[in-house]
Amino acid sequence: MISTLNGALDDIFGAMKLRRVWIALAHEDIGDQHRRTTLGPLWLLVNYLAFVGTFVFVFQPAGKDAAGYSAYVAIGLMVWFYLMEVITVSVSLFKREQSFIEGTTLPLFVYVMRLTVQSAIRAGYAIAGCIVILLISGPALTTAWLWSLAGLLLILLATPAIIAIFAFTGAFFPDSEFIVGNLMRVGMFFTPVFWVNNGQDPIQTYAYNWNPFTSFLEVVRHPILSDEFPGHDFALTGAFTVAAWVIALMLLGRYRRQVVFMI
Amino acid sequence: MVSVKLDNVSLVYKLHEKLTLSAPDRRMNDTGGRIASSGRKQFVQALDGVSFELKAGDRLGLVGPNGAGKTTLLKVLYGIYEPSEGNITIDGKVDALFNINIGFRPEATGRRNIVLRGLISGWTEAEIEEKMEEIIAFSELGDFIDLPFKAYSQGMAARLAFAASTALEPEILLMDEWISAGDASFQEKAKRRMDELAEKAGIIVLASHDQSLIERVCTKTLTLRHGRVESIAMTPMEAA
Ligand SMILES: Nc1ncnc2c1ncn2[C@@H]1O[C@H](COP(=O)(O)OP(=O)(O)O)[C@@H](O)[C@H]1O
Ligand SMILES: [Mg+2]
Repeated sequence: MISTLNGALDDIFGAMKLRRVWIALAHEDIGDQHRRTTLGPLWLLVNYLAFVGTFVFVFQPAGKDAAGYSAYVAIGLMVWFYLMEVITVSVSLFKREQSFIEGTTLPLFVYVMRLTVQSAIRAGYAIAGCIVILLISGPALTTAWLWSLAGLLLILLATPAIIAIFAFTGAFFPDSEFIVGNLMRVGMFFTPVFWVNNGQDPIQTYAYNWNPFTSFLEVVRHPILSDEFPGHDFALTGAFTVAAWVIALMLLGRYRRQVVFMI
Repeated sequence: MVSVKLDNVSLVYKLHEKLTLSAPDRRMNDTGGRIASSGRKQFVQALDGVSFELKAGDRLGLVGPNGAGKTTLLKVLYGIYEPSEGNITIDGKVDALFNINIGFRPEATGRRNIVLRGLISGWTEAEIEEKMEEIIAFSELGDFIDLPFKAYSQGMAARLAFAASTALEPEILLMDEWISAGDASFQEKAKRRMDELAEKAGIIVLASHDQSLIERVCTKTLTLRHGRVESIAMTPMEAA
């Protein structure tokens, strides 16, 4: 147990010393993904706005407050796309980093942080779009927005752990790449991203209450839309974050030297 | 004091079910390690009870047929693979290159790639800055250094990789066969640099099929076969 933890912490501290490596690589990644395009990473913003626009246009509940719904969808999609992308891309992380893993002795956590930074940068474009939508569509700018910011930071804090868990899963169970990809695509419909739980449909209420993603969405969305602190959702998200880190540390400590043989 | 000591080191690759299709054909198994299977898993014994010692100034040439375990041994020395059995004791700062393209990004310029490669090897920004011009000069890439890496030939890539990985004078340098990608004048230069490194009491381990390269560079030769040490001897000196 102790040696597992020591191994994991060694890996993480080693990666922290090499932070210039993953920051530089993440920037190169973003640059490469959009090289030779005119808009560059602004495509991320366009993509996000197109999705929000489509969902608002198609699903806007008739007769309800239109502005409130735009904000609801804008925040919901921002968080959901972030989580979906992080999770689906993580499953193949070690496979994509194969040449590095087989050719260098970089700590595995370097790759985890590389993806964390990359995802955070990409999310930055959606966040910018989201803020614009919020300012236009009108929820008043209050101090409760700070709780939403805290919610975002909590999600960011959970990100490396989530990435590590799915990366190990993908390395040890190659099938999980496809299972996770499919689940995440279907999962959007079971998550209150664009539908509002009004407590009337039992299936909807069930999905709302039992979907772990709900609390991740609500810690960011609830403060801005309702001007109050969602204590329950923060507690749940915090608990998930702690649990994710515990699992991630165990995996890292126990299996990091095996990954090179698995990919 | 720089030293390397291997004590009865073995390494077994486990092949998972799906990979077994690509395992080498057993009938003509003159190359490669030993294949064993248990249940649904197969194993390749890539290294089997390897022991040897190197001390400061040693330049070891690794030879042996394809699949003898040379690359595996280098990776075990570097710490990429944890041995399945046995012990390794290494004293000294190790640098290694197994694949010319590792850490090189095709879209980035040679200059930017030197920075990335340096960061990956754990250099500080100051060290990278300090060595930059020397690496560029040694690689003789001239104006190509500011073109994207994808515009380089394999030989040019090899020059850059070699220049970068030896610039900070690692105490222990591990090299796989790729070094023969360079042309004759580069190999001559590379040899001189390896001489310098070894004179500073470093250790070099070089795997190659090129007997004359081994003779020019190495003081000792270790022959591997089926993952076992067949012989370890002083390299016969080149005439002159
Ligand atoms: N990633 C791997 N998975 C399974 N077997 C491997 C792997 N890499 C090498 N081997 C096996 O290990 C043995 C030694 O390979 P290697 O060290 O690459 O030999 P060499 O470099 O001397 O040609 C060979 O039998 C090869 O098939
Ligand atoms: Mg080889």
